[in-house]
Amino acid sequence: MSVVTVSALAKRYGAATIFQDISFSLKSGEFVTLLGPSGCGKSTLLRCISGLTGIDHGSISVDGGDITHTPPQNRGIGMVFQSYALFPNMTAAQNIAFGLKMQKLKATEIAERVAEVVKLVELGGREQQYPHQLSGGQRQRVALARALVVQPRILLLDEPLSALDARIRKSLREQIRDIQQRLGLTTIFVTHDQEEALTLSDRIFVMDHGKVVQEGTAETVYTEPETEFVARFMGSYNLLDPGQGKALLGVEAKGHIAIRPESIQLLNHPQDGSLPGVIRRRQLLGNIIRYQVESAGISLLVDRLNRSADDLLADGSAVQVLISRDSLREVR
Amino acid sequence: MRADLYHRCVVAGLMILLGLPVAATLLYSLATQWGATILPDGLTPAWYVQLWQDARFLSAFVHSLEVCIGTLLIGTLFIVPAAFVVFYRFPGLAKLMNLLILVPFAVPPVVSSVGLLQLYADGPVTLVGTPWILVGCYFTVALPFMYRALANTLGAMNLHDLMDAAHLLGASTMRAFLMVVLPNLKKSLMASLFLSFSFLLGEFVFANMLVGTRYETLQVYLYNVRQTSGHFTSAVVLSYFAFTLALTWLAARLGKSDRGAS
Repeated sequence: MSVVTVSALAKRYGAATIFQDISFSLKSGEFVTLLGPSGCGKSTLLRCISGLTGIDHGSISVDGGDITHTPPQNRGIGMVFQSYALFPNMTAAQNIAFGLKMQKLKATEIAERVAEVVKLVELGGREQQYPHQLSGGQRQRVALARALVVQPRILLLDEPLSALDARIRKSLREQIRDIQQRLGLTTIFVTHDQEEALTLSDRIFVMDHGKVVQEGTAETVYTEPETEFVARFMGSYNLLDPGQGKALLGVEAKGHIAIRPESIQLLNHPQDGSLPGVIRRRQLLGNIIRYQVESAGISLLVDRLNRSADDLLADGSAVQVLISRDSLREVR
Repeated sequence: MRADLYHRCVVAGLMILLGLPVAATLLYSLATQWGATILPDGLTPAWYVQLWQDARFLSAFVHSLEVCIGTLLIGTLFIVPAAFVVFYRFPGLAKLMNLLILVPFAVPPVVSSVGLLQLYADGPVTLVGTPWILVGCYFTVALPFMYRALANTLGAMNLHDLMDAAHLLGASTMRAFLMVVLPNLKKSLMASLFLSFSFLLGEFVFANMLVGTRYETLQVYLYNVRQTSGHFTSAVVLSYFAFTLALTWLAARLGKSDRGAS
């Protein structure tokens, strides 16, 4: 249960700034996600926190103690890598026990703790298998167990699910969240997948070009994007430029207007404030149907729950589009 | 079906072409006498018995083993850490290393022997005529085989993540190298050692020019006894061939299990 404080952190490689002026604090037991596109500096920031990569400026402290210049092995940090980084010459159990061996614990204690963590990550029966004999999901569980068994103060997860298929990714992320909550482990998770970030995190830091552009709970970041970048990155927001906003909604705005696709209603009959529109295309996304609707020459995405086949609107259908004023959000 | 027969004929022809000299040498090494007849007059193991009782042959064989094993020990001691450092700390040097390992093949042994003779024939470091100059030369010959095999494995093993993971779990760089990297290099290292060994055991030019009879190796011995008896030299050749064949088979087996493990 640790409190992590990162202050004015900066990292450069030659002339290129990877990130600068990064400051944030994590509460004890909090699950925080660094979310951003590839190359935004999130993985480097994670490596800097772990001590594997040096920083150019700033400080990092855990529980009030400065660890800025502490070697990685003494920071009390557990890390799970995107590539798993399992030792190919060791069995799953030997991989998990590696950190405990480095701490020179007794063999009986090592065996006990390995058995505990194997149970925790549900890897029973796979202990004596080598990494190449395990599936992607099992390998990632070994990596997670190896990071957890040393009882780290902070757990760092560097895109741990990105190499897995969708089904395993979903079940493993639920398991990660469950284990994190059970252990009350302060965790920093790095991902470029906004769905992962939204489902897992207590708080999300959205990063772009080496800066944190928005910070908040999953709900806040999703429903109240502050910038055009966040609105685009977090989902399929409709973004209207000031001219389009004026033409479609009669709203004066300096920046773009962001409208969530699920906040727009499609009606069969005109209503007060509704606009005529035509269905141009529809996409079935499982429980959601996403319509591309054209209204006043502007293309809008509208999400509706997929209740039944009778509700489906055909391409070319005339509809009424109702956009509530409350759902409009002006972004920078 | 016809194409299949054609392919079988080509392969069989090739095997006969390659196998016939070996079979003939084997037969000659076992022949009592083989002159104007199609087949030898009789068969005898006498040439092998004579060879394996010859103190000069045994001494040459031991010399060859000493030089080869010494070279490969020194090679392992220098090349394994060098390859690791290049891949882990100075990846920019990989290109330079790839060029360097070509140099031993770029300069013919006869040419480099002349240079080495001039350098080491007399002071300050007199090495000509001693096994040490052969160990030095053979090191450069083994370098490309060993470095290339290690580089392939290091390049494929996600070295940085493995080292980072080991560091975070409390291992020093040396410990991480010994416990994580080295065991994963073992198979490619062993395969390259066996290949280099077979190659070095058959080396003649450096051995003859730099050391000659002062530290007679197997190939120099074979050259020097070539006039004694054809049957006897055939027995030498076959003994050497059997030994290197066994080593090559071992190297191939190790290489195969290396691929299987990954």
